This record gives sequence, structure tokens and C-alpha cells, in this order.
Amino acid sequence: MKLTGTQELRASRERVWQALIDPSVLQRCIPGCEKLEQTGENSYAMTLRAGVGSIKGLFKGSVRLEDMRQPEHFRMVVDGKGQPGFLKGTGELDLAENAGVTIIKYAGDVQVGGTIASVGQRMIEGAAKMMLAQFFTALEAEAQVEAGEPPPKHGFFRTALRWFSGWLRRIFKGRAKVSR
Amino acid sequence: MIPTQFDYIAPATLDEAIQLLADNAYDAKLLAGGHSLIPAMKLRLAQPAMLIDIGRIKDLAYIREEGGQILIGAMTTHYQLESSERLKEICPLLPETAGHIGDAQVRNKGTIGGSLAHSDPAADWPATVIALNGEIVATGKNGERTIKADDFFVDMLTTALEPVEILREIRVPLVQGRAGQAYTKVPHPASGFAVVGVAVNLSLGADDVCQSASVGITGAAVKAYRARGVENALNGNRIDEALAQTASAHAADGVDLNGDLYASADYRRHLVEVYTRRAILKAFAQAK
Repeated sequence: MKLTGTQELRASRERVWQALIDPSVLQRCIPGCEKLEQTGENSYAMTLRAGVGSIKGLFKGSVRLEDMRQPEHFRMVVDGKGQPGFLKGTGELDLAENAGVTIIKYAGDVQVGGTIASVGQRMIEGAAKMMLAQFFTALEAEAQVEAGEPPPKHGFFRTALRWFSGWLRRIFKGRAKVSR
Repeated sequence: MIPTQFDYIAPATLDEAIQLLADNAYDAKLLAGGHSLIPAMKLRLAQPAMLIDIGRIKDLAYIREEGGQILIGAMTTHYQLESSERLKEICPLLPETAGHIGDAQVRNKGTIGGSLAHSDPAADWPATVIALNGEIVATGKNGERTIKADDFFVDMLTTALEPVEILREIRVPLVQGRAGQAYTKVPHPASGFAVVGVAVNLSLGADDVCQSASVGITGAAVKAYRARGVENALNGNRIDEALAQTASAHAADGVDLNGDLYASADYRRHLVEVYTRRAILKAFAQAK
């Protein structure tokens, strides 16, 4: 599956770059990311609860950043597997800046296999786009907040709400387990 | 093919179900007809810790007329809607849509409420409920609220329902005067799901002038949507083949279309336009 597009973020390129390579920021921005740990220079181990609605699966894998040319380009190599299947992909990200707005051009090629691909193929592209949109919305907010600029508007709240409800869910789940 | 372990509770009343859901919202899933949830659980793509089966609650399956509206209970099966003689008279789009869903087994067990709450991007009901300007009644601990169909479908498999709310009823306004309705669909050959599905609901005046058009489209994008461009092109104009052609060109305006192995986004765009045109003409032909 090819995922290509451009995304405008209202933040400076330098800040967007910093956010993109900061594991703690990424962990907050990647939908369903439960863990992102640095394992070496530009490589990370990730635990991802990916999915939409009630369809979710736990993936474990690695993320590697390559070909880094600050602040304009890097390649991201993702490899993960979990109970519902596996995913593997590379993405090229190019950052340009125009009047304080960062334009990210991305071109990715992702392979998804296993159960999720054989029964959920028709939804994979939609789900990927949905998660990508959530990611960029959150990333923009992160890059802006650090700049000390006015708080981000509309779209951010939905992402924040989603994130917040996911966080609540995890806490409540934790509690439920303790009380059992 | 065997789900992970889960708790199973079948409350006898709606109040009990609401309480159970309030206590376990983040672990529990409601089970209606189970024709989307159970397969997902068997594949372990969904692993809810608890199922609250609302199938034993009385009075959740009905089709009634009240106050200028058709009221449909959430647990009404597709087959009950498909076979209702009364609906064929007053709102033929409902039985027509139901007849397109899955196969006989699915229609016998699957429910309209379950389908809407699941919000599969290729399910048939969302298009029709949007085209009928329907409302969803959600009930929870803090009482009831109605959600317009347009606001109900938020994203792929995501609705405006809160985790502690139960979809209780679907309301559809009764059509007045001369009207025509139709659903056209390209079913996926294996799954029967809509590659695209188009529901059209026309209200016509004298001289075949369209007084109001409602168009809902499913299968094409991450969620069912209202095709406003088509509606605007139809409203106030006399319906004929030429108008259907120009109006249907707006069927995917501003929509990011889905692509998959079976149908690319470009192919879907083509299908959406063709099937919108056909649905308009079919609805028009059915207006008496």
C-alpha cells in the first residue's frame, strides 16, 4: 500500500523537525503508541496498540530513522508484528518551510500481512489515513505549544479528546485489573 | 477461530444494560446480532473483556409510526425491515436497503442498531439513514439524546455514541406528498459489503421539480456521507436524465475516497457517480 501526501503544519520547520525526532513527543502523537524507547542512535523499539473502533491489535516492533539531513529530510523504516498480523514499511519525509508554515511531503510504502490483511484489507488504507491525520494534528499541536504560541484550534481538540479517552481507558483498565 | 476469554452477561432490561455498561464501559462491548463483532472476536481482532448481550431485552425490536415519524427499535433485524409490508408502502427505501445486506442468515440475525453502532465504512444502513434524514436515539445513565444521522458517523468504525451509551432507536420522518426513494449498490463479490452504495430520497412537486433531495453514500470513504453537491444540483430543478447526469458528477465532491485491492480510489469515484445517477433515476421512476 502506498501512502503519499502533503501536510501543512503551522509551526516552524526547526520545531517540527525537533518534534519528529523526539521519542517522547512521538509517543504522544502516534495514535495508540504505548511505548517508544530509544535502543540506539536513531533507532527505537515501539509497542503500538493500533486499530480503529473495537478492532485493535497489539504490535511490537522497531522504528529506525535513516538518511537524516536536518531539518529537511529523513527516512523512517518500520517493522512490527503482533497477533493480528505484521506490518513493514518505509517512508520518506521531506520538510519545507514557507512563511512560518512547515510543509511535510511524505511518501510511504507499507506492507500489511496476516489476519488483519486477509480479512480487513478493505479498511487498511482508510485506517492508515485516519491514524496519519491524527498523528499530524497532534504533531502540529506539539510543535506549536513548545513555541509558546497561541493554543491550537479546532482539530486539535478532537485529537486531544481521543487521546484523553484512550488514556482514561488505560487507567481504568489498569484499575479494573487491580481490583479483580 | 476461537475468541479469547470474555465474560458474558445478558441483562433482562434496558436499565440493567445501561448500568452494566456504565460500570464496565472500557472493558465491555454490547452484543446485538453479533454479525460483525463475533467474527472479529473469533479472529481475535476484537478482544473485549466482557460482552453485554442486549438480545434478551424485550421491546427493542419494533417498527412503529408516531408523531409523523417511523420509529425503529435498535434490535430490529434486517429481515424484519425487509419484510415489513407497511414499510414498503410508507418508506420503501428501508426494506429495499435491508434486502441488499449480506445473505439470508445475516439478515435474520443482524440488526439495524448493531450495524449503525458498528459503523462499518461499507455497511448499507448508514447511507439510507442519512438519505432519510434520520435520527439516532442514544440512551445512557444521564438520560436520552437524539443525534442526527449526519453527525452520528464520525470516522471509520467510530460514531458519536459515548462508550456508556446504548443506541436504542432509529427515527425517520414520514415522507409527505410525492416522493421517490431508491438504493443502488455494487456489492463486493465475496463479502456482499458495499463497494459503493447510494441511497436517494426525493420529494417532488408539480412538473417533476425536485423540492428536496437527500443523498447518502456508503462504501466510498472512511464513513458514510451526505452528498451535498448532488442535493444542491437537484433541488429546485426539474428531474430528467440530463440533470441526473450533471448532479451525479458531484457525488464525490470534497471526499477522500478509499482504495483497496478490489477497487482503487479512481474506480470508486467512477462507480459512485454512475450509481448515484442510477439511484436518482430509479427514485424518480418510483415517485408516483
